[in-house]
Amino acid sequence: MNTARDKDAALRSFEAAWRARPADRIAATRTDAMQRFLALGLPGARDESWRYTNLRALAGRPFVDAEPAPSARASWLAGFCGSAVEIVNGRPSPAAIESVGDPALSIESLRAAIDRDPASLAARLESIGAAESERWALLNRALFVDGLRVRIAGRATAPLLIVHSAESARDDAAVHSRVIVEVDAGAEATIIEHHLGGSGHATLVNHATQLHLAPGASVDHYRVFSSDDRTTHFDALEVVQAADSRCRQFTVAIGGALVRANLSGRLDAPGAEHDSHALLVGRAARQVDCVNAIVHAASRTTSRQTARALAAGSSRVVFNSRVLVEAGTAGASSNQSCRGLLLSPTAEIDTRPQLEILADDVKCAHGATTGRLDPNMLFYLLSRGIDRAAAQTLLIYAFLDDLLTGMSLPGARRAIEDALIGELPGADLLRSTR
Amino acid sequence: MLKISQLRANVAGRSILKGVDLEVRAGEVHAIMGPNGSGKSTLAQVLAGREDYEVTGGSVTFDGADLLAMPAEERARAGLFLGFQYPVEIPGVNNAYLLKAALNAKRKRAGLAEVDAYEFLSLIKAKMKFMGMDESFLGRGVNEGFSGGEKKRNEILQMLVLEPRLALLDETDSGLDIDALKVVAKGVNSLRSAERSIVLVTHYQRLLDYVEPDHVHVFADGRILKSGDKTLALALEARGYDWLREGRVA
Ligand SMILES: Nc1ncnc2c1ncn2[C@@H]1O[C@H](COP(=O)(O)OP(=O)(O)O)[C@@H](O)[C@H]1O
Ligand SMILES: [Mg+2]
Repeated sequence: MNTARDKDAALRSFEAAWRARPADRIAATRTDAMQRFLALGLPGARDESWRYTNLRALAGRPFVDAEPAPSARASWLAGFCGSAVEIVNGRPSPAAIESVGDPALSIESLRAAIDRDPASLAARLESIGAAESERWALLNRALFVDGLRVRIAGRATAPLLIVHSAESARDDAAVHSRVIVEVDAGAEATIIEHHLGGSGHATLVNHATQLHLAPGASVDHYRVFSSDDRTTHFDALEVVQAADSRCRQFTVAIGGALVRANLSGRLDAPGAEHDSHALLVGRAARQVDCVNAIVHAASRTTSRQTARALAAGSSRVVFNSRVLVEAGTAGASSNQSCRGLLLSPTAEIDTRPQLEILADDVKCAHGATTGRLDPNMLFYLLSRGIDRAAAQTLLIYAFLDDLLTGMSLPGARRAIEDALIGELPGADLLRSTR
Repeated sequence: MLKISQLRANVAGRSILKGVDLEVRAGEVHAIMGPNGSGKSTLAQVLAGREDYEVTGGSVTFDGADLLAMPAEERARAGLFLGFQYPVEIPGVNNAYLLKAALNAKRKRAGLAEVDAYEFLSLIKAKMKFMGMDESFLGRGVNEGFSGGEKKRNEILQMLVLEPRLALLDETDSGLDIDALKVVAKGVNSLRSAERSIVLVTHYQRLLDYVEPDHVHVFADGRILKSGDKTLALALEARGYDWLREGRVA
């Protein structure tokens, strides 16, 4: 019966999982994280950054750790990448780690990193999860089973693909995993994280990624969510940037039941540049909730955020972006552009660009618009004999065009377009036309 | 080919077309002239199948078929072409792609295979040259950032590629300099044939110096007020529309 359900079942099950874990060499930081998480509880309707995503149903479900599982899936992003490492239910494959041959990259599992160098790792882990909106990252610090630590020391020859697959035959499995990427001064790399799987079960994936860029480092980072429609993702991405570093970030949500994607960026020193792009596709009953927070903590820092949200069926897409320019900085520049396209009367898009400027000398711009397909454009295409479904799909594509063409990797762009086509109405008609 | 009887239509709840009668036979060129706001574009858009314009009475047949019962895309495939007074900019939809998709839609209805890519390119390049358009337009978004004159040329280019049975050209001549006007007229004249018909909606006599109409109609307040041959256009030019309105009252 409903009334008999424990509304804190999830919280209790996370606590139980934590107690059952054997202690490792970072037990102190894990304990600290768990205690803070338990004190805060799961985010509720009263939490500002969770206004749009209600976790009440999830909070009432107990979860168990997903068991280790064999490698299962091929990523459709593999074609143009160099090395690929698969992480199944949070555990990377040792053979895949071994096989990474790029001399600019050194990779180890987080388990190995914990054993080798617990103090420095613990310090790294703590930089994310401080904010209230990052409670899942806090839980992640307490519970992550494994993951990767990647160090980039030079110029990587090809993109590194990290495939996260969630594989479970039950409806209450939870996966907690983390990836830490440290980019040395002047080093360059492209990292692609692909989240897929789900096996048709209601899996919870709580993942965190940290990118730390030394002076002059340059990183392109992609995270693509294409899981099945029963998977729930909580994904926290942290980017910390030193002087003159450059990060181009692409978040693509085209799968999952719920994708909550946080991006927290810190521009810590002059000349740092952050450029983020979000392509958020809602359909059926999917909920996509993207929360960006960029902090300009130094002078002459630049951030750009571009989001395109598409909502069909009874889906809901949220794009919430906040830019903070700290006091004492000069010459910061920030731009936020968010556009939403509603494809059904029951879909919903909520966008909230926010600016908090505590300095005098800044250049900031933001814009957010949401609408439906333009009837004049549609009529023009129809009047040329174009099929109605194809015309609609063309216009949807046109809406996404600048975001797609802004992707730094042509291979990634093509693969993502192909996957997108499968998600859109009138897809087949479009396939032949590109 | 086209027979319009007592056509009435509302736009945003307001009666705009108030009983239009017009017959266009194969091979004919008709010119419709009239003051701003009299409903000429509304007529053109209703004929092309714009859904938010509500037909409240009358009938239209196209080659014997009930035109008003067909959706817009079907009318286009059946051979009706509307050159827009204000061609729509569609950033992100490629101009060449639109042309190709439009041509293939028409071919499909006629039971023909899709046009060969190479054949299409040489066809379109020849037509562009004929229209004095740079090939770089192909790679751009539909009408995106085109000047007024470029947009009008692009409409004529589409018409030449699609070879419609009936072309409705809504003020394709307005905003053009004399050279552009000549190019547009050349395009229109090249399409003239015994099987095709052309309806020119225009404001000025100017275009009619280059494309000679068989019939001229004066459109005012949602209906055709007077019809005649090309001398009517000359009389209008000399005496203005008020002359007709007065004549009606008298
Ligand atoms: N989309 C629209 N919504 C409301 N009124 C319109 C719309 N389009 C045209 N009209 C009105 O319909 C009337 C006829 O316009 P139109 O057909 O464009 O005239 P013309 O082409 O002869 O200049 C005008 O009064 C115009 O304001
Ligand atoms: Mg008009």
